Amino acid sequence: MSNPDTSFRAPPDTPVAMPRVRSFVGELPLLAFVLAACAGLIVFFTGNSFAQNLLATTFLFAALSTSWNIIGGLGGQFSLGHSVFFAFGAYIAARMHLDLGLSPWLALLPAALVAAAFAMLVSWPVFRLRGPFFAIATMAMTEVVLALAMYFSSITGGAQGLSIPFKAGLHNMIFRDRMSYAILMLCFLAVTLIVMAAVTRSRLGYQLRAVHDNEDTAEAAGIDVLRTKLVGMGISAALTAMGGVFFLMYVRVVDPPSLFSLFDIGVKIALIALIGGIGTIYGPLLGALLVVPLEGMLRAELGGMMPGSNLIVLGFILVLTAMYLRKGIAGTGTDLFARIRGGR
Amino acid sequence: MTGFLEIRNASRHFGGLKAVDNVSFAVEKGEIVSLIGPNGAGKTTLFNLLTGQLAPTHGSVSFMGRDIGPLRPHQRARLGFGRTFQISKTLVSMSVLENAMIGAFLNDRALPDAARHAAAALERVGLAGVAGKRSGDLTLGERRRLEVARALAMQPHLLLLDEVMAGLNQTEVQEIIALVHQLNTEGVTLIVIEHNLKVVRAFSRRVLVLNRGQLLAEGTADAVLTDPAVVEAYIGGGASS
Ligand SMILES: Nc1ncnc2c1ncn2[C@@H]1O[C@H](COP(=O)(O)OP(=O)(O)OP(=O)(O)O)[C@@H](O)[C@H]1O
Ligand SMILES: [Mg+2]
Repeated sequence: MSNPDTSFRAPPDTPVAMPRVRSFVGELPLLAFVLAACAGLIVFFTGNSFAQNLLATTFLFAALSTSWNIIGGLGGQFSLGHSVFFAFGAYIAARMHLDLGLSPWLALLPAALVAAAFAMLVSWPVFRLRGPFFAIATMAMTEVVLALAMYFSSITGGAQGLSIPFKAGLHNMIFRDRMSYAILMLCFLAVTLIVMAAVTRSRLGYQLRAVHDNEDTAEAAGIDVLRTKLVGMGISAALTAMGGVFFLMYVRVVDPPSLFSLFDIGVKIALIALIGGIGTIYGPLLGALLVVPLEGMLRAELGGMMPGSNLIVLGFILVLTAMYLRKGIAGTGTDLFARIRGGR
Repeated sequence: MTGFLEIRNASRHFGGLKAVDNVSFAVEKGEIVSLIGPNGAGKTTLFNLLTGQLAPTHGSVSFMGRDIGPLRPHQRARLGFGRTFQISKTLVSMSVLENAMIGAFLNDRALPDAARHAAAALERVGLAGVAGKRSGDLTLGERRRLEVARALAMQPHLLLLDEVMAGLNQTEVQEIIALVHQLNTEGVTLIVIEHNLKVVRAFSRRVLVLNRGQLLAEGTADAVLTDPAVVEAYIGGGASS
């Protein structure tokens, strides 16, 4: 609602140069460059199926972490329950594929919509909680939905889990070579990065950041805090559920404990964003590029000798970033860049 | 239709403390009303009742003839309420310009429009030169002015200023006084909480005095400031602070 009596217009020639506000379009060149660099990695490791597997996993987790970052980073709602939306996506695709013989590509949209609706419904009461209480509530939600998933074995296969028969083909999202999966996950990463960039450079992104910084200020400025959080959560959950579809077709064998894993999914995607730079567009990708290959190589080195070693590595990286890079890799890099430019 | 803004028999209790105690008054469109009172008198709490940040224990608030009791702060903002916070609630992860843009997004959808209106608001409070700074790096006085800029960028009908001059130097105070008068001629109605009585006289239309949650006096600046009860409240230790 605008007020005709009191419209403030900038004078025709403003004496002081205002800083430029970057638009979504202004974000595109860097986005294209980053995606091209990722594609370059795939090409570089042609024929190396171990590396292609690592890249596929890295891009998948980068994409999941980017999706989380929309509500967790921009909106500051530190969800540890995103594995629930991830599992929703996997199970919707599995049922559509196994029962109806439908292509997993057709499951992407229903998975996104159902997960978004579910996420907004369960978040509604939980968004009244602030800070650690919100995070704890999302952890509790994960445990409850996991218990339900174990119980409803006709959908999830219960403790035995379920498997997708190997029928290679683009239509089935199943490939013989590992490189195709790396490309698939890169495409998913591209989608999440485009959405993240679009949200960041929009009114919604600014409002999410305002809610993150101070809810009282946000409300006083006319922002519907609850609605803003719900929209952010809906977008974030929708993308995460798509990730669940891709993950299902990548591993083809899933059971509730691994899909709902608090640590391997829920906490990990939050930590990757934290390490890379929470709330930044490219932070989660940087975090995933650091964490996932390291973890994968360690697992390959040690095999099953040291279960839980990946936890130690992740914890160690987290402590290092907390000590030396308070805003994550991307955040610290941006600050440094600004200081160098400002110092001229 | 009743007055522009009207608060009737409003109280707000915190446990046993009556921070605002049965206060009623009306503000007409185009007024500049000063709200004064000793520390802890309940001025900020009264603002919070007007903006919806706090729900009254008793009483009602109406705006342009409409009961706005059930409306949340963001809904009142959309009706034209703008406010500053006494303890500035700057959005510290954002630049100065971005802080003001948050206000401008009330009316603007597109980033360039919001940026333009935010820049104009910063210009008016004298912060255009630091638009690119991280808002966490501002001085206390600059943060106060940023509060004003964010509220201005919302293009409010009614502006509530909570001690925006505290900690500003003489020139800056004069600039804010000039800005308040300018806004008023543009049609903005203002309620200003102010400790500096010279500043209160400069606005000098109508003054409300709050003491221990109650409305102690109401009238022109000269009449109110010489009222023995008001003098007593200020000097005689009427303050509970
Ligand atoms: N959220 C709260 N919980 C409990 N008590 C409160 C709360 N907010 C304010 N109070 C108390 O209510 C009384 C009025 O406070 P308020 O901030 O409204 O006073 P004020 O007139 O704005 O004072 P000042 O001039 O110091 O800003 C004070 O005694 C204060 O301690
Ligand atoms: Mg106060």
